[in-house]
Amino acid sequence: MNDDHTLTVIKDRLAEVRDCLGEVYPSIPAGEIVARARRSHVRRRLIPGMAAVLALAVAAALAVTTLAPASHQASRHPQVQLAAWTVVTQPGGNVSVTIRELRDPGGLQSRLRADGVPATVTFLSQLNPACHPWPGAALHGRHTPAGDALFNEVFPPYPGPPGVIVIRPSALPSGGGVQLAAGFGGPGPRASIAIGAGLVQASPECTGS
Amino acid sequence: MEQDQREFAEFYAAAWGDCLRIVMVSVADRPLAEDLVAEAFTKAWASWQKVRGLAEPRAWVIRCAINARVSWWRRHRREVALGSQDAVAATSQHQVLDRCLVAAVRRLPVRQREVIALRLLLDLDTRTTAEMLGMSASTVATHLHRAIGALRRDIPALSDQELTP
Repeated sequence: MNDDHTLTVIKDRLAEVRDCLGEVYPSIPAGEIVARARRSHVRRRLIPGMAAVLALAVAAALAVTTLAPASHQASRHPQVQLAAWTVVTQPGGNVSVTIRELRDPGGLQSRLRADGVPATVTFLSQLNPACHPWPGAALHGRHTPAGDALFNEVFPPYPGPPGVIVIRPSALPSGGGVQLAAGFGGPGPRASIAIGAGLVQASPECTGS
Repeated sequence: MEQDQREFAEFYAAAWGDCLRIVMVSVADRPLAEDLVAEAFTKAWASWQKVRGLAEPRAWVIRCAINARVSWWRRHRREVALGSQDAVAATSQHQVLDRCLVAAVRRLPVRQREVIALRLLLDLDTRTTAEMLGMSASTVATHLHRAIGALRRDIPALSDQELTP
């Protein structure tokens, strides 16, 4: 069988796969796409100036912000079980999060906050624009050795089954918060569910405190 | 500006479906494909003066979305895998082949996937594909030849049997 024949077979089969979706319509209005582009343009223009402002903000946050220890509130909510995710506060104060389905990030966010973890939880595609990354340890951006060390302190390796993230709230730096973002992804042919974790600067708009 | 927006909105409405369907062949799930296509259209609007003049603006969006997939994964590498989603069990010969084929296409290098998307799925000719990908026609042909070779190796059924509808 030559290339041309194989090409025809591949083309026909892929066309079938492509067309099996049927008619699809945009889930986002064109006006929203235009607005997103404008916001993105504004962000790009603001970023150089924001870097200096953020550096000052981090210094100020380190000086004045304190976080309530997670264990204070965690005892009121030792375990909450829902279908999509489970939050368990362990005796030492660590909080383990198990995510089974990609839904209700707002509920998970509320639960973590109620357990004393300053957290923002979203889908990867809808990250909270009010959140500013913690330098060197954010979900986005460049990582530094110090940032990686901090990340590993806050999110200690979990030897158990996959699908669990452990958060050590006591390791959070003053003014720091947790960012979790759920989405599909992964290399290879099959979609896997992934949860991204990172550190952000805590603020009422981002992490609720 | 208003004229541009109207023109873009018309393009968006007309091209969204094609772009999503083609990106879905390259990306495993629909919500992510929709995100990537939306991001690509956002970039298309930001560069609308350039994109509108292209021979095939849809190809620009598709390429942008496929590349965004690569950078998306690089950005979100601090992940914890939570398991896999098995596709619905396939039953017919075609369904089995389609699943294998799509899986194999997703394993191809990004340049080969771009060529497959534009040449085979968007049905562009070699010259337009080359223009859209910023490469020569012979490079397009080489990528396509290698992609077919890889798919053949991955899926012997492509060579072994004559498929009937």
